[in-house]
Order: sequence, then structure tokens, then C-alpha cells
Amino acid sequence: MQNFKRAFVFIILLSPGILFLQDISNLKISIKDTDDSSRIILASSKNLSTSIEKSGSFIMVRIRADLPYKIQRRSFNSRYIESLGWSRGAGYYILNIKTSLAKFSYVSSTLKAPYRLIIDIIPEGTGKREKGEIIVESNSNAYSDSNKVDIDQGLKTIIIDPGHGGLESGAKGKFGTLEKEITLDISLKLKEIIERNLAYRVVLTRDKDIAVSLENRAAKANNNRAFVFISIHANGFFRKEARGSETYFLNLNATDEEARRLAYLENNSSELNTVEGENEDDIKMILWDMAQAAYLTQSSQLAELIQNELNTLLGTLNRGVKQAPFKVLTGVACPAVLVEVAFISNPDEERKLMKSEFQNMIALAVYRGLTNFLKLNL
Amino acid sequence: MSVRQYAFLIALSVLLLVLVAIFFKCGEEKKLIPEPVTQMLDSEEISGEESETKKVFLFFLAEEDDLLHAEVREIQADAVLILQAKLVIRELIKGSRNEGISPIPVKTKLRELFITDEGIAFVDFSKEIQENQFFGSAGEIAAVFSIVNTLTYNFKSIKRVFILIEGREKETLGGHIDLKRPLLPRFDLAANLPGSG
Repeated sequence: MQNFKRAFVFIILLSPGILFLQDISNLKISIKDTDDSSRIILASSKNLSTSIEKSGSFIMVRIRADLPYKIQRRSFNSRYIESLGWSRGAGYYILNIKTSLAKFSYVSSTLKAPYRLIIDIIPEGTGKREKGEIIVESNSNAYSDSNKVDIDQGLKTIIIDPGHGGLESGAKGKFGTLEKEITLDISLKLKEIIERNLAYRVVLTRDKDIAVSLENRAAKANNNRAFVFISIHANGFFRKEARGSETYFLNLNATDEEARRLAYLENNSSELNTVEGENEDDIKMILWDMAQAAYLTQSSQLAELIQNELNTLLGTLNRGVKQAPFKVLTGVACPAVLVEVAFISNPDEERKLMKSEFQNMIALAVYRGLTNFLKLNL
Repeated sequence: MSVRQYAFLIALSVLLLVLVAIFFKCGEEKKLIPEPVTQMLDSEEISGEESETKKVFLFFLAEEDDLLHAEVREIQADAVLILQAKLVIRELIKGSRNEGISPIPVKTKLRELFITDEGIAFVDFSKEIQENQFFGSAGEIAAVFSIVNTLTYNFKSIKRVFILIEGREKETLGGHIDLKRPLLPRFDLAANLPGSG
């Protein structure tokens, strides 16, 4: 009976904990070496949405997580894997895998029920290895690397981001013009001008009237290793008198201390990959979350050059280059700007924006600004 | 298994259920604690009033430019910080008394407001705050920073503002300004910054 009593008390003490634990999923990592590679298996009780990025001697796995995970760490010995680092941001985790290899390739695959992400790290020079039969599926969202395009065509990529789309129509004009329509029209024209005149590949974040999340827009740029990111918007304000063109680049909206850390990165963007030690994880996380922080100088230059051309060509009121914490720009890892071409909430400018010639002029102005930027940054 | 063991298991599961019930019940009761009421004072009342009052400034748009203009109100100075902050936000939603333009839809409700030890004010609005057809980026910047500036300008202990909608983190109000992190004020968007009294 004494034993029963003890068990009883024990279970009662545990029960709130058991209730709580049900919500937390586990992430378990195991590492195995094979003859020619090192294998990392990331197992979870839930299906994961992940993206993988290779950079220098690192592999970074970004795992989307709406709820916290319980991460099981374990010490290990591996030929090609030196260390693992975890860091956490709003809505995701990042696993940093440090390899001991200067040159290597990797093969990733997923298995389901239970979910496993398998990454094989293969040193360069061991011959090509086919993806094994274990590949079951690749995630279709932007967190996966499945939409990574083959970019070995020698062409650099410019991303044009037509603002809004789908149910999210953006600002609306008095005559019923929607921001999402204007931004797409201008973006398509801009794409055509760039492709006709420059040896760059142009990728649109959307080429029809569909909703694309802001994170996915940035992801598209990063997955394509974009050289430049240009977001096209039309402005809206409470006073219909508000008018003119303005070009934004990111404002970090950070404290002095954060800004100091981020500014350090700007001159040392390669350090993103070489920050070491667990204590640095938080810093690294801030950095990856705000990849744009490393490109602010170039972004402001691009903004100035585009704004100059808008003034010259359009004759709209010059509202200048401005900074604000635009969500779409924060995660973009290349020079990035957001152009507010004119005010759709101003009836005069709305009428202009509806005209194809005016849209062409805007596209041409942005193109000229971009060309000037490319001349300075090659 | 003996009868005694079965009985024991059943008793245990009943107990667990009771514990679960108590657990959730307690949570509900907390919400029922009534919130003390603090009132906005009319300017006439203030002159004769003996209790301490304090000037606060709300940031609205004006007809003449695209900047945020501070508009004065007086509130009781003895109310606790969180109630003062709620009062100020409710007053901001009500709109300007001098023909200023409020960038926040008047139907918006303040659902909750709390302030962390680190000086981050979490302000939870009802979904109406998103229903504004003027949310081009200029309009959205005005809406977001009228809230952030109003809270940080009037309360020194509030350093940053985290805007929530219907109790959840939201990416943006209308597709532009990042709401997934606490925002610092942007007093460069203000036309005037009067001294508080």
C-alpha cells in the first residue's frame, strides 16, 4: 500500500506537466558517418517545413515553427561535421551545421511518419552521388529549396516584386483603381525593358493576380540569389491632396545597441557564416532574420538613383528617399528598395497611373536608376 | 490485475479529470476580475479639480501636411500606468477634437494592453484596425506610428510598442510595415513635439 501511495502522489505531481508536454514536439538530431559522407538526421514528431542553404563551410537549415520545439542535443563525433548550433527567431528555428570541409556538396531528402529530414554531406572530389530512393517528397512552399532555380547560366537575377495581389488589393483609388493592378502592370513593363536591354534574368514574385506572402517574396529573392530586389507599390493616404513619388529602403527600427551590432555586419557580411559559439546564436539569428541589414548602404544608393530618375522622367512631386521598416524588405539578402511610384488616393495621379504611357515612363525611370546602380556595382 | 488495482486506476483517472477541470476553471475566473474605470476629464472640469492631472499628447494627421500633429488631452495623473496607457489609446481611436484626421478606423476597439518589464507595450486591437482603404504605405506608416509615438511620447517607461490584432501577432496592417517586432517611435514623422506638463 505504501508503494501505491507513493505512485499516487508522484502521478498527481506529474499530471499538469504531462498535460503541458502534449503541446511540445520534439526535434531530435542524430549524426552518422558512412564511407564517403556524414549524415545528419533531423527527426520530429510533426512534419516540418524547412529550407536549406549552403554557405561557405556551413549548411543552414531553417525550420518553420509556430510552436516551440523541445530540442534534444547530444554530443557526437563526426568526420565532416564539426559542430551544430541552434538559434530561434519569430516563428522559426535555424540549425547551423558547421562542416570541416572547404568544398563539399549535400543531398537532402525527407521521410514521413515519423518525419525525418536527412542531409548527407559529401566532400568534393568523391565522385557524383545520385539522390537515393529515399526521396519521398519535397515541400512546395518557399521554405523548401525545391524552387531554387538553376542559376548557373551566367546571368545574374533581378527580382521585381509587384506589391499586393489576390484578396489583398492594397490601396484603392476614387475611380476604383486597385494598387495590386497598377503594380503588376508596371512590373511586367519593367521586366520587359530590363530583359530587352540588359544581360540579366528577371524574376517576378508574382506574374498574375495572386496572393504571395511577404516572407515568400523575400524567400524568392534569396532562393534565386538575387542581385537586386525592387518592389513596386502605389501609395495611398488619408488626404487626397497627398501626391508624388518616393523610394524607400529599410529602416531597421532598432535600438542603438542593435543597430551597432547590425552595422558591424555590413562591413563583415561574410562573418554571418563564421560567428562561433552557442552564445552568438542570438546575434546570428537577428542577423539572418534581418538579412537586409548587411546591404543598407547599397540599398540607399539604389534608392537615390531610382528616385533621381523618377523626378527627371515623371515630373511628379519629389518626396525623396525615405526609410521605414517594410516587412517585405527585411529578409532580402541583396540591395533592395521599395518604390512608391505615385498616389492612387490622389485623383489626378490615379488617372495618370491608369494610363499605359505613364506606366511605361515609370518602368523606364526605374530601369535607368537600376542601370546606373549596376554600373557602379559591378 | 487485482480488483484493488482496477479501483485504484479508476480513482486516479477521476482525480485527473477533476484536476483538469479545476485547471481550466481557474483560468476563466481570472478574466472576470472587473477593470477599474478611469475617465477622461473635460477641460472645464480640470480648472476646479483638486486631483492631480497630467497633459498627454495624441498624434493625429492634419489637413495641411502628411505629418503627425500632437493634440493635447488631460488625464488623471494618479491612475496606474497601464490604465493611463489604455485611456490614451482609446482616446486616440476616438479621433481628433480639432479637425485632425485619425489614421485609425473609429470602429477599432482596444482589446488589451500590457507592458513588460523591458518597456515593451503590447497593444491588442480588434480586427477593424485593418479595415482602411487608405492603407497605402503612407497611410499605414501614419497609422502605425500614431500609436507607437503616442504611447512612447507620453510614458517614459514605454520604449517600444508591439501591435497585436485580435490577440495575435500579425505580419502587417495592410502589407507594408513590419509588425512582427516591437517598434521604436518615429518622432521625425511628427510636425510638433510639445513639452508634457
